[in-house]
Amino acid sequence: MKGVKIRVRQKKGMAILEVEGELDFSNVEQLQQEIQRRPEEVVEIDLQGLRFIDSSGAGMLLSQARHLYRQGRTLRIVRIPDFIREDLEVIGFFRVLEVLETNPNA
Amino acid sequence: MREVTTGNGKILRAYGLEGSGYSLPAEQVGGDFFEFIFCDERTVFAAIGDVMGKGFHAARLMEIIRHMLRECIRINPHPLEVVRRLNKVGGYELRKYGAFATLCLLGYDGTAGRLTCVNAGHHPPLLLSDGKVKVARGRGVALGLLEDYLGSGVEEFFLAAGDAVVLYTDGLVEACGPGEQRYGQERLKEIVRLQYGADADRMKQNILSDLETFTRGFSQKDDVTLVVMKVTGKAGERGED
Repeated sequence: MKGVKIRVRQKKGMAILEVEGELDFSNVEQLQQEIQRRPEEVVEIDLQGLRFIDSSGAGMLLSQARHLYRQGRTLRIVRIPDFIREDLEVIGFFRVLEVLETNPNA
Repeated sequence: MREVTTGNGKILRAYGLEGSGYSLPAEQVGGDFFEFIFCDERTVFAAIGDVMGKGFHAARLMEIIRHMLRECIRINPHPLEVVRRLNKVGGYELRKYGAFATLCLLGYDGTAGRLTCVNAGHHPPLLLSDGKVKVARGRGVALGLLEDYLGSGVEEFFLAAGDAVVLYTDGLVEACGPGEQRYGQERLKEIVRLQYGADADRMKQNILSDLETFTRGFSQKDDVTLVVMKVTGKAGERGED
């Protein structure tokens, strides 16, 4: 599918956002707004159905993670397809998440 | 030393090294860039990078980063210091717009034949030597994602005549054809391996032809940039510079 589809589920103080399709600069705000709308302490982004992510998508996820950590909340990114994990590893995505978890102002 | 710019391409001859680069934006302009920067009488830098986003916004930030990169090299040309400083000053600019940029910086000392590499979130360069392809191992976080640059440091290689280095952006390895399959690093490694003996510009053209064969003319979502550098003489020899 072209574009992105987001399905929201709730589970014990946690919001789960299931993301399907292609996340890029043309639709990244859609997911950003959905994350910002959630009041839960933990927001989980399930990427199992994601087929493509560009640098705008990766950048948005990191800035939202920073934002939530600053509020003492958590953004968790789970079930990442291997080929997307590889792309994210190149830019240092997971290293940044680790650093932000302990110091959101880094 | 000589640098020739033609359309989206550039050819360099300096310090016993020839370089050939090409960048094709997916839109009218893009966030990919590459540069050859002369440092002193024995050192030349090659840089490749990709600023987050598309179109004019990315292109504007890319021009800022390019300018800052030259300035950082002028202040202190140690490759790790260049990247650290660029992450400080350029990272500040990038963060203002919620952006980041990847960068791979190579410094080549033509007298010693030494190549130094520092990576900030960019796809690793490929090294072709004696018909074998090696992937550089240095890694680091892209510029602008953290206040202080975080990476594995400087990686060093000694190059002999005939050795080549290939730099590329994600738009090349993530390019797709009619199916969903990507061009990928493995196919790139294989076509690079087959280029042993070719000059830098021929290598670049052959890799781009192979990419075109793979994508079968399908338009791509991302900019594609490729740089090939090849050592033409023994360390210390200036050849035809």
